[in-house]
Amino acid sequence: MRMPTLALKRKQWEPLAFASPSLFLIAVVIVFPLAYAFYLSLRDYDLSVGPGHEFVGLRNYTEALFGDRRFVESVWNTVVIILPSLIAELLLGLGLALLLNRVIKGRPIITALLAIPAMVSPVMAAMAWRMLFGVKYGAINNLGRQTGLLDVYFDWFSTPFLSIVTIVLVEVWHNTPFMMLVLLAGLQSIPQELYESARVDGASAWQTFWSITLPLLKFTMAVGIMIRMIDLTKLFGLIFVLTYGGPGGATETVAFTTYLVGFNDFRMSYASALAYLIVGGVLVLTLVFMWIQRYREARAA
Amino acid sequence: MAIALEQTRTASRRRISRHRVGRVVGHVLTYLGIGVALVFFLGPFFWIVTTSLKANNDYFAFPPVWIPDQPSLAHYVRLFTNSSGFRYFSNSLVISTLSMAAAIIVSLPTAYAIARWRFGGGVLSTVLLVLRMLPAIALIIPLYIMYKALGLTNSYLGLVIAYTVLYIPFAVWLLVGFLRDFPIEIEEAAMIDGCSRLGSLVRVVVPIIAPGLAVVALFAFIATWNEFLFAVVLTGIETKTMMVLVTSFTSGGTDMFYGEASASVVLGVLPAFAVAFALQRYLVKGLALGGTKG
Repeated sequence: MRMPTLALKRKQWEPLAFASPSLFLIAVVIVFPLAYAFYLSLRDYDLSVGPGHEFVGLRNYTEALFGDRRFVESVWNTVVIILPSLIAELLLGLGLALLLNRVIKGRPIITALLAIPAMVSPVMAAMAWRMLFGVKYGAINNLGRQTGLLDVYFDWFSTPFLSIVTIVLVEVWHNTPFMMLVLLAGLQSIPQELYESARVDGASAWQTFWSITLPLLKFTMAVGIMIRMIDLTKLFGLIFVLTYGGPGGATETVAFTTYLVGFNDFRMSYASALAYLIVGGVLVLTLVFMWIQRYREARAA
Repeated sequence: MAIALEQTRTASRRRISRHRVGRVVGHVLTYLGIGVALVFFLGPFFWIVTTSLKANNDYFAFPPVWIPDQPSLAHYVRLFTNSSGFRYFSNSLVISTLSMAAAIIVSLPTAYAIARWRFGGGVLSTVLLVLRMLPAIALIIPLYIMYKALGLTNSYLGLVIAYTVLYIPFAVWLLVGFLRDFPIEIEEAAMIDGCSRLGSLVRVVVPIIAPGLAVVALFAFIATWNEFLFAVVLTGIETKTMMVLVTSFTSGGTDMFYGEASASVVLGVLPAFAVAFALQRYLVKGLALGGTKG
């Protein structure tokens, strides 16, 4: 009975042959364009000027970091949107996960219903909310007027501050369900015996939460936050629909500014340099993420 | 003695009843919280659906009409006839379906090589993770220039190629998980009977892991359906998707034309509803794109 192992003995070329279609496509559609973008970022390719371009070294990068208030401000805008969104998503997601964990009847259906916003595209989510916030026909103004809370048709995107608040609200609506799902999965992987022995020892609900649930959920929370943080650096569709960067550029995120530089101003080289700065930022965050994963695996082993 | 026993019994009974009251209150609060959450997360969808069914004069009414007396499909009809909504809806369907199929066909052998032969060792999974985290904005600028030079903008093919490749990391990641669970003995039996490696993958493995493939396919469909940045940059008049169509309604300013806009949002979110229910068990993994594996 040696045959089975013989049958599974691989031919040298087979793994590579099996993987080659996707490796080829990734090389052509991802790796080569990225290399090309880096090449472009060292030149001055500007489609609004003409097709010719010359080598300019790191000028685009120094301009972005030290000479371009718009980009530096977009970094700040991104941070201002990310931080409250993350905190709200974590707290709300945790609350919902704890609630769902207590639900006995109909948990799968309730979970699926609550998960729907996370499955919807950012553009659609933003469009729905833009209509909800509509000045004359929006549900929020109409509800406010009907109940007497508002006495005018309010423009929810009139000031930078309000615009950021509404963006954060929509983002929290859109992605809290993701955090909830991740944390619910984390909660359910905590062994029930721990809770039982805590009850036998007469621990209160708060004590159980602080000394069992929270410590054991720490890594799940860290992973959820890292994924959200990395995805939030790419915030684009929401901004495109809700404010288009306005008022006065106050809600332009890094991804949105790069888009405008590339496809409104057609400064391809400069946009590539901005994109590479974003990639650098995301790479650092990804390394932190991988480090957390490793640490968790090491702790689990 | 009897009195003492009686006392402890009533005391314990009181403790039990207090406990029970606490539990009932806890349950009520739990379901109250869930109810509030359901209203917050699903309310917008409810309002969009009713808005899309309103007659035109209902928009101007005060007090506002929340649920129209005579729901009408007029806005859907107008969306499909006037705003070329039908064309963009079918564009989305075609592009998503083709990308989904292509992504699976390309990813399955790669996932197989990783699951069976540990192809690439640990390096490959790191590469896939980095690709997953890569900001799309970094890719779209060079890709736009390349597509322009090759004449691939405003074509199905261009968008399908881009979506297929963007989706490979996720598809491979999920498929490796499904393939690792697949018992190697079944394949060995097939191969002793003279099946080639590719033959056993297609004829033996695929039918058995079909449910797993369906999960990957549905996620691929929804991901390409929802994608916006590539669609808005790479499509033209003829190849726009639903996501691009819906943003065109915002040009009307704060008071855009609500009827068609809400109808297109309803059509745009339909697949999300379907997938959320079909893939309940896989939502965490799918949404994290394998990032939280384990």
